[in-house]
Amino acid sequence: MKRILFALVALAACLTLSAQEYTGGVKGIVVDRNGRQPLENARLTLLSGAQELAVIETGEDGSFLFPNLDNGSYTLVITAPEFLENQVQVTVNDGYVKNMFTLSLTSIQKVADIDDDSFAAFDLDDSGYNDNPTILFGSNDVFNSIAGYNFSSVRFRARGYISESQEVYLAGVRLNDAITGYSPYSLWSGLNEAMRSKESVNGAEVSDCGFGGYNGLTNIFGDASSVRKGLRGSVMTNSTLYRLRLMASYATGPMDNGWSFAANVSARLGGNDWIDGVYYRSLAYYFGADKVFNRNHRLSFAFFAAPGERGAQNASTQEVYDLMGDNMYNSNWGYQNGKVRNARVRKTHEPVTFVKYDYTPDDVFSASATVLYRFGKNGYTALDWYDAQDPRPDYYRNLPSYYYGNIDGDYVADLNRNNPDKYMTAKNVWSHANMYPELTHINWDRIYNINRMQEGGRSKYVQEERHVDQNDLNFAASFKWRASDAVNVTGGLSGRINKTEYYKQIADLLGGEYFVDIDNFAEREYASQPWKIQNDLDYFLEHGEARKLKVGDKYGYDYNAQFRSVGAWANGHFVIENLSADLSGRIGYESFWREGLMRKGLFPGVPTDNDMVSKWEAAGVEYAGPGAQSSYGESEHLGFLTYAAKLGLNYVIGGTQRVYSHVGYFNDAPRFNQVFLSPRTRNAIMDGITPTRTFTADANWQYSGNGINLRASVYYTQIKDQCKVMSAYDDIQNAFSNFAITGIDQAHSGFELGFKVPSYLVDDLYVQGVFAYGKNLYTSKPVMTQTVDNSAEEVMKDVLLPYWDLTYFEDGTVQRHHVPSTPELATSLGLSYSFNYWFIEADVEYFDNAYLDMSPLYRTDYAVAGLDNNPTWEEMAYMTTQEKFDPAFLLNASVGKSWFIKRKYQLGFSFNAKNILNNRNVKTGGYEQTRIVDNTVSNERFYRFDPKYFYMSGFNYMLNIYFRF
Amino acid sequence: MKKIIIILSVAFVALSSCQSLKEEWDPVFTIKNEDPAAFVPYTEATLPGFAGEFTTIQDLKALYKGGGVEIAEALWIRGQVISSDVSGNIYRELYIQDDTGGIDVKIGKSSLYSEYKIGQWVYVNCKGLTLGAYNGMPQLGMAPDQTTTNEYETSYIDEWGIINSRIFRGEFAEPLAPVEVDENKLKMALAAGYTGELWGKYVVIKGLKYDNQIFALVYPNPNLPHKSTNPENRVFLSDKGTWNINTWALSKARYINAVQVGQFDTAEVGSGNTRYGPITGKPSEYLSDGKVLGSFGRDADLTYKEIMVKYATANYVSHYFTIGKTSVQVRTSGFAKFADDVLHYDITDGGHTCDITGILSLYSGSAQFTLVDEPSVSVKIN
Repeated sequence: MKRILFALVALAACLTLSAQEYTGGVKGIVVDRNGRQPLENARLTLLSGAQELAVIETGEDGSFLFPNLDNGSYTLVITAPEFLENQVQVTVNDGYVKNMFTLSLTSIQKVADIDDDSFAAFDLDDSGYNDNPTILFGSNDVFNSIAGYNFSSVRFRARGYISESQEVYLAGVRLNDAITGYSPYSLWSGLNEAMRSKESVNGAEVSDCGFGGYNGLTNIFGDASSVRKGLRGSVMTNSTLYRLRLMASYATGPMDNGWSFAANVSARLGGNDWIDGVYYRSLAYYFGADKVFNRNHRLSFAFFAAPGERGAQNASTQEVYDLMGDNMYNSNWGYQNGKVRNARVRKTHEPVTFVKYDYTPDDVFSASATVLYRFGKNGYTALDWYDAQDPRPDYYRNLPSYYYGNIDGDYVADLNRNNPDKYMTAKNVWSHANMYPELTHINWDRIYNINRMQEGGRSKYVQEERHVDQNDLNFAASFKWRASDAVNVTGGLSGRINKTEYYKQIADLLGGEYFVDIDNFAEREYASQPWKIQNDLDYFLEHGEARKLKVGDKYGYDYNAQFRSVGAWANGHFVIENLSADLSGRIGYESFWREGLMRKGLFPGVPTDNDMVSKWEAAGVEYAGPGAQSSYGESEHLGFLTYAAKLGLNYVIGGTQRVYSHVGYFNDAPRFNQVFLSPRTRNAIMDGITPTRTFTADANWQYSGNGINLRASVYYTQIKDQCKVMSAYDDIQNAFSNFAITGIDQAHSGFELGFKVPSYLVDDLYVQGVFAYGKNLYTSKPVMTQTVDNSAEEVMKDVLLPYWDLTYFEDGTVQRHHVPSTPELATSLGLSYSFNYWFIEADVEYFDNAYLDMSPLYRTDYAVAGLDNNPTWEEMAYMTTQEKFDPAFLLNASVGKSWFIKRKYQLGFSFNAKNILNNRNVKTGGYEQTRIVDNTVSNERFYRFDPKYFYMSGFNYMLNIYFRF
Repeated sequence: MKKIIIILSVAFVALSSCQSLKEEWDPVFTIKNEDPAAFVPYTEATLPGFAGEFTTIQDLKALYKGGGVEIAEALWIRGQVISSDVSGNIYRELYIQDDTGGIDVKIGKSSLYSEYKIGQWVYVNCKGLTLGAYNGMPQLGMAPDQTTTNEYETSYIDEWGIINSRIFRGEFAEPLAPVEVDENKLKMALAAGYTGELWGKYVVIKGLKYDNQIFALVYPNPNLPHKSTNPENRVFLSDKGTWNINTWALSKARYINAVQVGQFDTAEVGSGNTRYGPITGKPSEYLSDGKVLGSFGRDADLTYKEIMVKYATANYVSHYFTIGKTSVQVRTSGFAKFADDVLHYDITDGGHTCDITGILSLYSGSAQFTLVDEPSVSVKIN
């Protein structure tokens, strides 16, 4: 009772805050860490040692005050519904009221998490296309919380940016892949409880833990004390990816002895309703421990991984989908002995461990440092074959269109294909897939029997496992210093050593006894030069024959991508009454190179000693001229100075509105996978590599009050001098080809609106929605160099892509080309109702202006001009137009309820139904094949190969049942 | 509360047991896939729809009357495999032979040797297939393509549904021994023309003498039209001995080297009566504007030599031999693994005869040999 009285007194004191002067006390404002909005009714408990002195709640503007405190050290515990608990140490000296300024709480996700598991693993191989969506976290930013969950089904990318531009941190360490830039969510798939606590900033905002880029930054805490206290268990079933998820977690929370422990395990198992052959057999485990020493020091440790297998989906052409009557057809699987087997399976076990040290000597300064290490295996299986027929069921020569040349169903005589008997038979096969599973899916039985028939047991087909195995050591340190009431300074240092080994190994000999390590493509041209077709020339020269491979042996290629970086950043936060400004800068240096571990016959380099010279000459190895390009040893070391600067302005109007803006400029290094022409075969680097330069600016208005939550933003971003390498089989060169493109510029501009407002008709009924409209355009005409794996010669050198950004039409109009794979118009309007632990939500969504990923080959003068080198308007329009996807309309709903049992246990469920209208014709992505049809009647023009598409699932659901105490 | 738990449990079980593909758990619970059952060869008893007698290959060939014949009635043939594409010298075709003759079955797939072993029995349901000829040589394929550019009587049997319903792999058996052929037999076969028993058979001809003559037709840009109506894209290597080609064929690398060192500099562009000039000239010098634009517009100002290097590909070569006074050409693909093997000096210097084993075919009234195995096996020096 004393405490309650004390609290009431404190509350009363709080209400008359402005009218009185105090001697000794603590005051401040509690805000949401995301968005910095004040939190009303947050609960603050003041402790002196273990003794609870007072409990108060924040006012409407988030402010609080503990008056009349003696000098001394106190512990302040802050809690709020749907936020993680926070504790801070505070010292009262000399009878002053200590101003804590803002104390932030991190929100807990209310809706189901969107993580890497939410998206099918698309089998894009090394096509150069990237279909990764941006993962938006449903933080208290109203736009993200709605778009993050609702738009995941169409693989929405915020502002059209590639997902690599979204910076993802773990325990303060930037974890985007060092080689590709990909976000690393797959490392902790299934560990939703352990990784639930996170903080995010949007756009070009600066976070406390890092400088960030132009597409937001998310820092996942990952330490034991950030895991929600208690025992939790859940079972989940869904119909789009895996059938069953079992998850359990336990966390002690901070204990009196300073320790915190947490553990989380899960299993994701089964297939789904929509994509045959896709399955999960994945586990996940996490263990974390924290220890607080002497109040000011905290040491955290965590170790986790998500080992498992995941079957992948493949894209097919519309012809295949139409014939199968199924836009979700997956060509990756087939029956083996009557059981489903997928040829493309991702097999990973990449543990991550970190040690983090936090130092908080007082409430003015804090610092932390983290050492993080990632290691393990990351494999991806695929079929490989030597001197055998292509086993893919949807290989273009197996389809009806190969026997009847048509474009969009209309016969085109110029395509030089017309054989009615074959066409009708092929059409019959594909239209009756159930009767011909051996032709419409991978025919594993046939593959085994072919291997068994070979003399000596030499496999013609094997299942290979392509590995990308990382050894990634990271260090990051950051500090936060409140220099004065008006100035806060944050900053940090980082360093990274990454060695990623790329290789493939034999995963399954498929009934054979061995496979031979030679280059299938090279053999077609250099059969009479056996040294030249060797994948491992050194082995060949030593043993006089190619290596006979068994399961587990490396073959084909083997190289390290080496990456090093160091960096430093700082941010000054300046406050003048309602106006605050952030001025920040980052500088760093990145270096990377290729280190070949296998000497390929086509690119032996030059001998390094007399012994090698004599061996090579005895075998006839040619090492002058083009062959001097080396597959072995280190390439040139590329180094880039990187730097960036940001300015942010923030103006608070009253207690409910905020106007803020950011401007940023970034000079970033290209990534390893963007600059090596053919890293599997040699050290060659594309010419004209320059850093990527990005300018970004946004302006935002946020309103939060009276139950209304609203954010409106406009943005403009210009990205210049990007580069990339794509690989594909080139029918004209009859070889595997690499297309290196430099000078890709793009501009993104648009408007975002997110809102949640009371209905004013029914209590607790809200109207919520999102409107995102942008234009993400290519703005340059890049240049392309084409090489082939079989030769060091350049097929095309610095060829302009005049139609990369525009298609010109005869009537004088043009089509602007867009950054692909995300809708530029994405809208959602829905209702949200919660009452007595029920929640019900429903929304309608509309998406439009999504575009197909473009092939650079089709945007050359060469492709447009055709065989006769005479471009026509018709050829130009046909070859260079970018396909726009049809708009999509979706209806989703979700419902949930929880019950308390004996006031201690909580049982609940959530049920989400997506795409209730069962719209099965929504393209979520796809790409043009980089192949040309050149065998025509007229010999005047070229034709495209049909593009490949990915589609969204039809009606799907997710039921999650959880138990907590 | 019990009721809630029951309802949730039932809902969960009901939803999680929905499965569109009943085997969706197969890969989850399969740690190691079981090996499939072994291939079971077809026999007469198991051939689907077979209820009669086999027609001999010779009787089948006799159905040909100078143009492609689609076989409308039930007709089955059988034969043992005599060809292999393992060396790369045979491509997208399979030769089978019975007691009466051999025939080229145009299975339009590569690496047929993986499934069709030499000596293995093969059964062919010919109904729906087309019997035709290419330069006089009998072939069994599909109806020809109905395109304006087609000039063949048959097309490949390359659609899987057709292959699986027409061609059946039977029992394995000992390979056939080559039929020994002397000049008289060869002359008789040449005189018989299309119906000659030897065509398509696995034979050995003994006592062949090298004739110091080769024939090759190369296309400067193989991506452009290169039929007889396009002489501007044809270069004949013939009529001038061997052009210093001492290998069985020209791989891409060997071809590039030969062009670059000037080995073919005197070869003329053109065919028949249309001759433009040596390959050291340019299309822009030889061709009218329209022709240049249509064919070599992109490369009009390169020399033909440069174009040949730019678009180089492997090229076949025919070496001429004689038995008595009868000429036999041994034709080898540039994609053969032995394409760049050098003909043995004892053969080319004329000092020794040789015995060559391979498949004998008819090519525009002449005898043509295709080596199945590498020369070290197929060519015996006497």
